[in-house]
Amino acid sequence: MRALWKVLAAMAIVVAAPLAAKGDPLPTLPPYAGAYQPQGMDERGLWMMVDEDERRLRDSKAVVSDPKLQSYLHDVVCRAVGAPRCDSVRIYVVRNAAFNASMAPNGMLVVQTGLLLRVRNEAELAAVLGHEFAHFELRHSLVGFKQKRSATDVMAWAGVAAAGAYTYGGTGAYNTVRTAQSVQNAAFGSIFAFSREQERQADLLSMAYLKASSYDPRCFADLWGRVMDEADATARGRRQRSTRYDRVAFFATHPATLERATYLRELAIAMDKSGEDGRARLDAAMVAWRPQLLADQIKLNDFEGTDYLLGELAGAQWTADLLFARGELYRSRGNPRDLVSAAGFYRAALEQEPSNADAYRGLGLAQMRSRDPAAADSLRRYLAMKPNAVDSAMISTLIQ
Amino acid sequence: MKRTSFSIFAAALLLHAAPGLASNTLIPSGVPVAVAKSPLTVTPDREWNKMGARPGRNSETWTIDGDGLNDVTFYGGIETGRTLFREVSKKAKPLPHFSATMLLTDLPTLFADSYSIALDTQLMTIDSVEPTAFLGQKGIRFAFTFSRLNEEVRRKGEAVAAIVDGKLYMITFEAPDVFYFQRDQPAYRAIVTAATIAR
Repeated sequence: MRALWKVLAAMAIVVAAPLAAKGDPLPTLPPYAGAYQPQGMDERGLWMMVDEDERRLRDSKAVVSDPKLQSYLHDVVCRAVGAPRCDSVRIYVVRNAAFNASMAPNGMLVVQTGLLLRVRNEAELAAVLGHEFAHFELRHSLVGFKQKRSATDVMAWAGVAAAGAYTYGGTGAYNTVRTAQSVQNAAFGSIFAFSREQERQADLLSMAYLKASSYDPRCFADLWGRVMDEADATARGRRQRSTRYDRVAFFATHPATLERATYLRELAIAMDKSGEDGRARLDAAMVAWRPQLLADQIKLNDFEGTDYLLGELAGAQWTADLLFARGELYRSRGNPRDLVSAAGFYRAALEQEPSNADAYRGLGLAQMRSRDPAAADSLRRYLAMKPNAVDSAMISTLIQ
Repeated sequence: MKRTSFSIFAAALLLHAAPGLASNTLIPSGVPVAVAKSPLTVTPDREWNKMGARPGRNSETWTIDGDGLNDVTFYGGIETGRTLFREVSKKAKPLPHFSATMLLTDLPTLFADSYSIALDTQLMTIDSVEPTAFLGQKGIRFAFTFSRLNEEVRRKGEAVAAIVDGKLYMITFEAPDVFYFQRDQPAYRAIVTAATIAR
C-alpha cells in the first residue's frame, strides 16, 4: 500500500508538471549565451545521437542544395528570433511535399518543401521557424525525454504494485489492481499531454519572438486557418469524413489545430501590433523553386486539396505558373470536363506567358485526349519551341 | 506446461508458414511462360526467380539476385479504374487510377506518381521517353531514376508499356545504378523483345 502511495505521488508530479506552465500569456525571451554545450549525461547522449543524424542528413539526396535558398531561410530565422540567437542554427531544406518542419535538440532545423509552398508570406514562415527555434531554445527534446522516462518508470512500478496485489491477495487486492491500472493509463496519457504542452509553449515563445520582430504577428493564426481548410478539401475529395479540429485525442502530440488558431489569434489581437509581411522577399526567394514544388504537390493525387491550395496561393491574381499547375492538375484527373477546364487554364497561362512551351504541351495533350483536332497544332508549337525535349520523339509520333 | 504447448504451437505455425514464404519459383531459360495471370507471354534468355509475393492483382515480379537488386515486374492487363499495384493506404495515400482513355504519354506520369506516393519520395524522375513497338502495338518506352525514402541508393529503371484492348500492359525493370542496372539490362530487354500477347 505504501508503494502505491509513492507511485501515486510520482504520478501526480508527472501529470502536474505540464499544467503548471499556464499563467502569463507571453513568456519573456530567455537569456541567450552563444555556443551552448550539452550538460549532463542525458543531454550529451541526445546530442551525440542527433549529431549522427545530422551527418547522415547532410549527405542525403533528399536535401535541396541551394546556397541562396539556405541563406535566405537563415536570414528569415535571424529576422524572426534576433541576430545572435539565429547563428547557432543549421538549416536543411528537404524535398517533401507534406507541410512540416522540425528542430533537433542540437540546432538542426529541417524545413520541408511542402511548408515553403504553403506559406503565403515571409511572416508566416518566420512564425513557423520561430516555433521550431523555440523548441530548441527551451530544450524541449531533453525535457520531453526525461518526462517520458519518468512516466514509463511510473507505469512499470504501478505494474509491480498490481502484480504484488494479485499474487498476495488480501482484502484490498482488487482495488489496488484497478488503481494501478488507472495510474498506468494516466502516466501513459501524460506523455502526450506533456508533448501538447511543449507545443503550446513553443507557440507562445514564437509569438514573443514575433512581438520583438518587424513581422505582423497575426499571420501565424492565418496559416493554421488555411491548413484546416486544405485538410477539409482533401477529405471532401477523397469522400472521407473531415477531421474534428476542436477535439484533443488521447494520443495527440500537438494541441487541436482549431485551439491553436484561436489562441494565436487572441494573442496577436492582444499585442495590438502591426508589421510587415515580407511577401515580396519570399516570392523573390521562391521564384526558382515554385514550379518544382507545385509539380511535387500535383503528384500527390490529392485533387481537391491541391485545387484549394492553388486558389489560396493565387488569391485575387492567377499567375502563369499557378494557371499552368492547375492545368496539369485537371489534366491528371482526366475526366472529359477536366480536360476542357485544363485546356482553358493552359490557354490563360499562355496569354500571360506566351513563351511557356510546356503549357503548349499540356494544352495539346488535353486537346488530344478530348479528341480535339486542334491538338496537333498545339503539340507542333511545343516541338518547335523545345526541339530537344526528352519526349519530343514520342510527341511527334502522337501527331502523325 | 503452458510454455511447452506454446512453443509447439509456434513451431507448428512456423512450419505451416514456411511454404508460403518460400513460394518463389525458378523460371527456366528459353521456355515461353504466361505471366501476371494474363495473356502476356514471355520467353526469358536466362533463368529468373519468380517472387511469391505479387505487387498487385494483375502483376508479378521476377528477380535474379533478390528483391530490390534486380526486379522485372509484369503488369498484365490493368483495367480502367484500377491502380497499378496494391495501395499502401487507400485512405491516407490513395494511388492514381489507370484509364483506357489515357494517351501513351500519360503512362510514365501514372507510373512515376504511383511510385512516388507508394514509396513516399519526391525523388523520382522520368529521364527519357520514346516511342516503341510493344506487343505488336504502338507503345512507349521510358527510363526513370529514383531513391526510396531514407535510403541513399540511387535506382535506375526502364519500362515499356502499351494499351491493348483498353487494358494496360507494361514490363518494368529496376535496379541499383551501381553494378546491377548495367549488368542485367540486356536480360530485361530480351524478355521485352520476346513478349507476345495471346488473343
